[in-house]
Amino acid sequence: MKAMEAIVDRYENRIFTFGLKMCGQLQDAEDITQDTFLNAFKYLNSFREETKLKNWLFKIAATACIRKRRKKKCEPDRELSLESFMNKDGTFETYDIPDGSDDPSDKVLQAEMKSVISDAIKTLPHKYKLVFNLRDIEGFNTKETADILGISIESVKTRLHRARLALREKISHSYREGKSA
Amino acid sequence: MKEDCKKYFESISEYLDGELGPDDCQQIEQHLKECPECQDCFDALKKTIDLCRKSAREEIPEEMRKRLRSKLRDCLGDHQLPSE
Repeated sequence: MKAMEAIVDRYENRIFTFGLKMCGQLQDAEDITQDTFLNAFKYLNSFREETKLKNWLFKIAATACIRKRRKKKCEPDRELSLESFMNKDGTFETYDIPDGSDDPSDKVLQAEMKSVISDAIKTLPHKYKLVFNLRDIEGFNTKETADILGISIESVKTRLHRARLALREKISHSYREGKSA
Repeated sequence: MKEDCKKYFESISEYLDGELGPDDCQQIEQHLKECPECQDCFDALKKTIDLCRKSAREEIPEEMRKRLRSKLRDCLGDHQLPSE
């Protein structure tokens, strides 16, 4: 039980963060965290030593997120096309993205930005959000993300790029609105 | 957006992630030097990623932490755990 607790200690905040960013609700994040650890410890026999424990846990967590979404009978994922981020008239959109401040005295600003970012991530279509959270938030590389989700490396790259472009638009838009309010 | 810019626009994330070969990197770097619009586009994307990474971590609320431990204790016996 001690070893089990050590694993939970080490990964619970990460799995919880992933669940929260994927589903946006505390209750859902709690369910995903519980399901992940229960399934991980229940199916230890299927764990292969050559796989990293962290990758295996996130594979279980990603499956739990996909299952939860199916249960909720959500709308099918909409596609993000690359063209939608390009101006057809040859002009360029300008984006207003703040620099992330490390200054602790900027706590209010940091909290506001955190909320803007969370809201922006929530609006991503599910399959783009999965890739973005694994790659940019959890720090898995492209190959690891492809293995966790059972998709091709090319799909990971395509989805990640579009998710980032969508977030850039949303964060810039919210930031501008906040400045003009 | 110009055709030339479109080509690089598609590869910006791969460039940022260090996933392009040296020739492609050199071409993008040369284009960014010559095209201030693409440089702005690149900077904004990079800032977006940095900002998201910085604000990422959440902590599981204490009540949930306790419920999780209790549930695991109830459901699990003495399993052999894998090494990390």
